[in-house]
Amino acid sequence: MVVLRAGMCPGLDEDLVRDLRAADVKTVEDLVSCNLEELAQRCSVSYKALFAVRRVLLAQHSAFPVSGADLYEELLSSTAILSTGNPSLDKLLDSGLYTGEITELSGGPGSGKSQVCFGVAVHVSQQLKQNVIYVDTTGGFTASRLLQMLQTETSDKEEQMAALQRIRVFRVFDVFSLLDCLFGLCSDGLQQASVGGGSVKAVIVDSVSAVVAPLLGGKHNEGMSLMSQVAGVLRTMAKDFNVAALVTNYVTRSSSGELQPGLGVSWSHIPRTRILLERLEEGTTAASSAAATADVSRSSLRSATLIKSSRQPCLIREEFDLQWWSRSKDQKTSGLKRKREEDSDS
Amino acid sequence: MGTKLTMADMSGSHDQLLFVFSGEVVEVCGPERTGKTELLYHLLCRCVLPKSAGGLEVDVMFVDTDYSLDMFRLVSIIDSRLTRALSPSAGSDEEVLRSCLSRLLVVHCSSSSQLLLTLHFLENSFSSRPGLALLLIDSISAFYWLDRCEGGASFSKQEEKLSKCSELLGRLLRDYRITVFATCHAIRRIHSGLSSSSFSSSDSDRPYLCRSWQHLVTHRLLCSRQASTAGGSKEQRMRQIFTVHCSSSTGTKAHRISSFHVTDGGVDFT
Repeated sequence: MVVLRAGMCPGLDEDLVRDLRAADVKTVEDLVSCNLEELAQRCSVSYKALFAVRRVLLAQHSAFPVSGADLYEELLSSTAILSTGNPSLDKLLDSGLYTGEITELSGGPGSGKSQVCFGVAVHVSQQLKQNVIYVDTTGGFTASRLLQMLQTETSDKEEQMAALQRIRVFRVFDVFSLLDCLFGLCSDGLQQASVGGGSVKAVIVDSVSAVVAPLLGGKHNEGMSLMSQVAGVLRTMAKDFNVAALVTNYVTRSSSGELQPGLGVSWSHIPRTRILLERLEEGTTAASSAAATADVSRSSLRSATLIKSSRQPCLIREEFDLQWWSRSKDQKTSGLKRKREEDSDS
Repeated sequence: MGTKLTMADMSGSHDQLLFVFSGEVVEVCGPERTGKTELLYHLLCRCVLPKSAGGLEVDVMFVDTDYSLDMFRLVSIIDSRLTRALSPSAGSDEEVLRSCLSRLLVVHCSSSSQLLLTLHFLENSFSSRPGLALLLIDSISAFYWLDRCEGGASFSKQEEKLSKCSELLGRLLRDYRITVFATCHAIRRIHSGLSSSSFSSSDSDRPYLCRSWQHLVTHRLLCSRQASTAGGSKEQRMRQIFTVHCSSSTGTKAHRISSFHVTDGGVDFT
């Protein structure tokens, strides 16, 4: 609700605001919805003046329609696809993270969500040479892990430092600080995070469920409203500044026992693309030895299932190795060659 | 105007799901991933495509409240329909695509007050463009939780903005003879195990938006996804079948059901 104040537009002076308030018209919405002739008579103001004020206020506060052709041209020129650095994930995501959209990664504990986020941050910063905003809500961010990943990409210390500098980290531990941080970033046009003249291309929030989930449930609606606000600011950021937003979420079990992303039905409409990460079950028998199960728990293989996408058929599944981002360049190229052969064989 | 819009036209199927006349409001509701936005794209294509490709050549206004309009997906659907209908070498595809897209107007709203002000502002567009016959809102429930929290303890304050939007929409419908399709997201999980044959009036997807909106709605389309059958080839499991269940407040009380699946070329009714 936008409250009417003097000086908002030419023709809206103190006297007019007072007369309108006396007639119970306090906000722009009230003024726009009411009958102007009646109002003009009640406030003894000229109809023409009121009509002019209404027209200016409406033009100031409403959204403008854009032709579909212009919108498409603009999107063609400004949308970028950021590769995640891992070819299996890229295949699921239809070649990478799209700017202007929210992508969600969900998975249980230890399923590798944070590792994937680190990998994406390192890839965008080092290979694509773009800035990254990393919002950490769980305290799980370690720069040494990122350095480890970077050391396999390049051995030049200067380049490593430059890449690390392009990743701006914000630590927030409750939803109000998260909203504060995101709104603050939006209001100054992401300038805070644009280091060295580059532009921010990716915003990673790990994880959004850690700050929102404690507020849900119970009789109060504030939790749902705060969740909507987080969604709103992330979408605005993604669309207006052309960044790819990547968020992580936890999982719950549905009534039929299968895994599903958390935060409920109201959150499920918000990300454009959703991926579910799971640990791979190696075919261990019930009588497996302790050593075998220990191997499984230390394995870095994960499977990713696409559960929502507007571009690909759903439920396609890819397996990948979390250690992909730590491999050296030679290991990566040989891995890619092997993968291409496998794909052409199947 | 009296243009009749039917949903099942593109597939040439004789089983028509829905006849919509101008001045009516259709609410498309259902949980996520049930094809609601795809249905809107299908309708959009039907309207903006040239007559030679089976379209109606009318203008469409798309109000996007939750940034869910995927222009690339829309363009790929329009493209595939155009190549199917017109011969591949018929003139420049770019020109035809551009002319189709120029019949579409897109507006983004980020709060319910902005939605209300924008609808007022759009009245000018409706009066100056008589070819504007269809208003799509995706989705009308985007600000539900924000409004509920802002309104505090009183229900009437919570529903005030959406009520005002509904009243304004009612007036626009009468004055300009447009048709409105709006999607509405579900807020409660529908429990699996409800077969489509046991639909009663008290189904688990009860309308939850304000009364003024519910009075405005003429037809309600409830979308759901059929549980994928066990067994069958991998191909069959990939092709998810979506069903649409239509109930109208006018005419007969009989329910009509239709099913479709989503292909690269958009919605394909079976």
